[in-house]
This record gives sequence, structure tokens and C-alpha cells, in this order.
Amino acid sequence: MEWANDKSKGGVLAHLERLETQMSRSCKNLEDPPRETAESDLGTKIHKLRCLRDKLRAEVKQRQARIKASTANAEPDQTLEISEQEAVGGKEENMKAILQAYRFTGLSGKRTSRGVCVCISTAFEGNLLDSYFVDLVIQKPLRIHHHSVPVFIPLEEISAKYLQTNIQHFLFCLCEYLNAYAGRKYQADQLQRDFAAFLAGPLQRNSLCNLLSFTYKVEPQGRSFPFCARLLYKDLTTTLPTDVTITYQGTDASSTSWEEQRASHENLFFTKPLHQVFTSFARNGERLDMSLVS
Amino acid sequence: MDETVAEFIKRTILKIPMTEMMTILKAWDFLPENQLQTVNFRQRKESLVQDLVLLCESKRASLRDAALLDIIYTQFHRHQKVWDVFQMSKEPGEDVDLFDMERFKSSFEKILRRALKNVTVSFRDAEENAVWIRIAWGTQYRKPNQYKPVYVVYYSQTPYAFTSFCHLKSNTPLLSQALTVASNHHKIVKMDLRSRYLDSLKAIVFKQYNQLETKFKSDFHGGILAERKEPLRCLIKFSSPHLLEALKSLAPAGIADAPLSPLLTCIPNKGMNYFKIRDK
Repeated sequence: MEWANDKSKGGVLAHLERLETQMSRSCKNLEDPPRETAESDLGTKIHKLRCLRDKLRAEVKQRQARIKASTANAEPDQTLEISEQEAVGGKEENMKAILQAYRFTGLSGKRTSRGVCVCISTAFEGNLLDSYFVDLVIQKPLRIHHHSVPVFIPLEEISAKYLQTNIQHFLFCLCEYLNAYAGRKYQADQLQRDFAAFLAGPLQRNSLCNLLSFTYKVEPQGRSFPFCARLLYKDLTTTLPTDVTITYQGTDASSTSWEEQRASHENLFFTKPLHQVFTSFARNGERLDMSLVS
Repeated sequence: MDETVAEFIKRTILKIPMTEMMTILKAWDFLPENQLQTVNFRQRKESLVQDLVLLCESKRASLRDAALLDIIYTQFHRHQKVWDVFQMSKEPGEDVDLFDMERFKSSFEKILRRALKNVTVSFRDAEENAVWIRIAWGTQYRKPNQYKPVYVVYYSQTPYAFTSFCHLKSNTPLLSQALTVASNHHKIVKMDLRSRYLDSLKAIVFKQYNQLETKFKSDFHGGILAERKEPLRCLIKFSSPHLLEALKSLAPAGIADAPLSPLLTCIPNKGMNYFKIRDK
């Protein structure tokens, strides 16, 4: 075929374009006989389509205006079109109401040309953390156009369950997951940053911060033998662990005081956020030092 | 120190550009700061490398240390490799993924070793809870070839793994199996997505879009583009914080004719940039 020789001109993308036009041209040739005035025909066609597009745009604008004007009664001969428009308009109103109600939970949104862009701001213990957005296109079916949700958050699962049937629940559920993730991440970051002196080795974590493994001492001076902690957060909507295993590494494991400490630590990790547990370790250490001085 | 290890370290250090030498050696953290200060970094590269290899010998560098240096070099020069993307999937309704990095590493290595006695597996933790894995393949009768390793970059609790191009295609099934099982997945497929730029691949599969508005910039002020009868032939260079999105918005902005070629628009949607075009 002759096109094989033209491959050198213009590179791969140009070549692909040529293949595309070739394909569409060969399809067209099967239907219409070739004409010398093909170009000007295309020009007229483009002009006609543009006029049609402008006409349709004007019509859409008119109808939107009509819907806003006549909210109570639907005109009988345009019932079908308007009720679909109303459904979409209704969804927008619903969305606005949800966003107003949830503003205090860190949910906010702004209208876009296609629908609405929801912004979820996460927080933990009064600290404002990362924000994520979900760009929704209001169509049938409702779909997510863009988002900045991390890939390890089960967004597809949550959408599959709630997006089409209950937008409210979809947003609430996503909020829960993101806030819990942000809270767990905050605790792990705090531990690494502010209490590094208490850790005997690196903090082992994962993307969701739902498995934390570390070796720690109760006093940074290192007089006590280290404990090993393994925290599992099987419920991704919470910021406290579901499973806590503390093991004692020292040699005199039979001593009851170590066992008491181990058990009390387990309880602490179950009930308090990580950094608070270590803050209390630090405070206890200060108290001990004070008693030695006096 | 084994002769082969010495040679391997020598060849790896020789690859490092002089401007990066200190940075990479510090990241390796095998030769302590005070020893590095005794070395003359201003001498000819060949002599410098000799000195460094002698220091490594005195510290009894092992294959493990050498492999780690190779990983660090590759991390600094990741664009030299072409990266493929594998997508894994789980059975629906599975329990929450409690990914344990240490268990992943030991499981991954175990699976490889069970099938192939001669293999070198090394790990280096990276940012964002990711791990770089280096695998040097051998055969039943031959020791691993340290000069043609495969790299895998895996971000925990995601379904995607990035692997550097592997000459020995025969080992891909074993690698796929190890990845899938160790990360608690069931299936793995290779995507039609390939690039030298890991960050671009990440952006596409992790769908990391920011809310950008990309404006069309023109230096011409309507000069050369205004009032032309014939079409203009020119080379246009597009640059943008998010190029594919910007291209998509050209049509609605009235700058390009719609529809844009689906070859461009399907890249983020379908996660593919590798197309096979055949004659019909």
C-alpha cells in the first residue's frame, strides 16, 4: 500500500493520525461516491453542525430558565423532558442540602458545570489534617469524574454500595474512612516524631496505618527492658486498635511486676491514642525522677 | 571479600557520576563518615574507585551490601529503566488487608527460593510505605547474574506493582506468583502501561489528580496564527503539571476540534499507554 512510504514524514503520532483518517475515509468511500467538491461539502457540514449546536445550547438555556420559573406546574406537552430535568435539578438541590448539613463534619462542596465537587477535610483531636476531593458528575448514573482519595482507601467498594442509591450515606461513609485513616496516620507520625527516644527500633507501618509494630521502652534512658507492641486496626473506620499484643522481651519474665506492667500497657493502647499513651509514659517517668530528687 | 563481589561493587561505583558520589555513598551508609573523609575525592575516578573498593574489602562487604548499593544507584537513576505495571486483584468480600511489611518480604523471598535455589533477593524500604525489591536471577546450575537484575516497586495495600523490564521472560510467572501471594492477592495481570517515569505511572494508576486549571499560553499575540488561509505546520511542545488532562480540556475550550483522538483520552481512563496497531 502506498501509505507505507509516507511513514517517515512527521513521526508516529502523525502516522497514527493518517491511519485514522485513512480508516474513516475508506469507510466513507464505501457509502458515497468520491466527489471533487468534498472539501467544501465538509465545510458546509461543519457550519451546519455548529449552527445546530448553538441552537441546542440556546434551547437548553431556555428550558433551564423555564424550570426555574414554573416549579409548581409542569406544562403538559413537555412533561417528559422537564421531569428528567427536574430529577437532575432535584439531585442538585438534595446535594446542596446535604452539604449544608454536613459542613460541620468537614464536608463542603462547590458547584461545577457538570455537578458538584465535594471536599472532605479530615481532622483528629482538633487538629486539621489533609483534605481530599471527589468530583461528582450529576448524570444517570451518578459517577465520579476525578478524585484525590488515596488508592488504598476502598473508594470503589463504597461507591458500589451507596453512590447510586444514597449519596448521603456514600459521603458519610467516605468521610468516616478518610477521617479514621487521617487519625491513625497522625498518631503514627506523632509517635515517630515526638517519642523517638522511647522507640528501640524503627516503627513498622503500612499505607493504611492499620498495622503498627514497634519495640519500646517506658523510660528513654533505657533502664527497663523493651516491650514489643503489635497493634492491629481491623476496623478501618476507627482510630483505636481492635487487637493489641504486648510482649515483654526481658529475661526476668516471671516477675509479677513486669506482667502487671505489660497488662496495663495493653489496656492503655486499647483505650488511648498512641501519642497520649507515650505522653503518660513520659509523665510517669518525670514523676519517678521527682521522687528520687526529693 | 569474594572476587565477584569486589568486581560487582567496583562496576557499580564506576557507574556513579562524580557529582552524586558522596550522596549515594552516604545513602548506602556502609562506609562510615570518618572513613569517607580519608578518601581523596579529587583524584581520577578510576583511582577513587580503587580506594573505595579497598575500604569495602577492609569492612568485608558482602553480596548483600553490594546489592543494596545497586538498589540505591537504581533509585537515583530510575529513568534509565523502562517500567511495566502489573495489576493485582482480590476475591470480593475479603477481610481487611492487614499488610505486614516484614511478613511480605519473608513470604516473597520464600516463594522465590522454593522454586529457584540460585536467586538473590534484596529489599530497601522507601517513602510512602513502599518497598524496592531487587532480584538477580540464576538457573538451577548457575549462580545469579548480578548484572541483569529485575526491580519491583510495590506500595503496600495497593493493587499495583511496578517492575523494570526483564530480559528473562521465563521468570515472570514466578515473580508474579511471589508478588500476588505475598501481598494477599489472588490474580495478577500485566497492564498495557509502560514508561521510564515511575511518577507518571503512579499518577495514572493511583489516579492522583489535583484540581488544576491549565491555561493555554501563547507567545504570538495573534501574529503568525492570525488570518491564515492555509493550515499551519509547526511543532508544538506541551508542558503542564498534568498534561493529559490539559489536552482533554483543549476541545471544550474551543482550541482543538472535538472529539480528541481516543488514543490520547484513554490513557488515564483505561490506564494504558501501550498500543498494538495491526492491519485489519
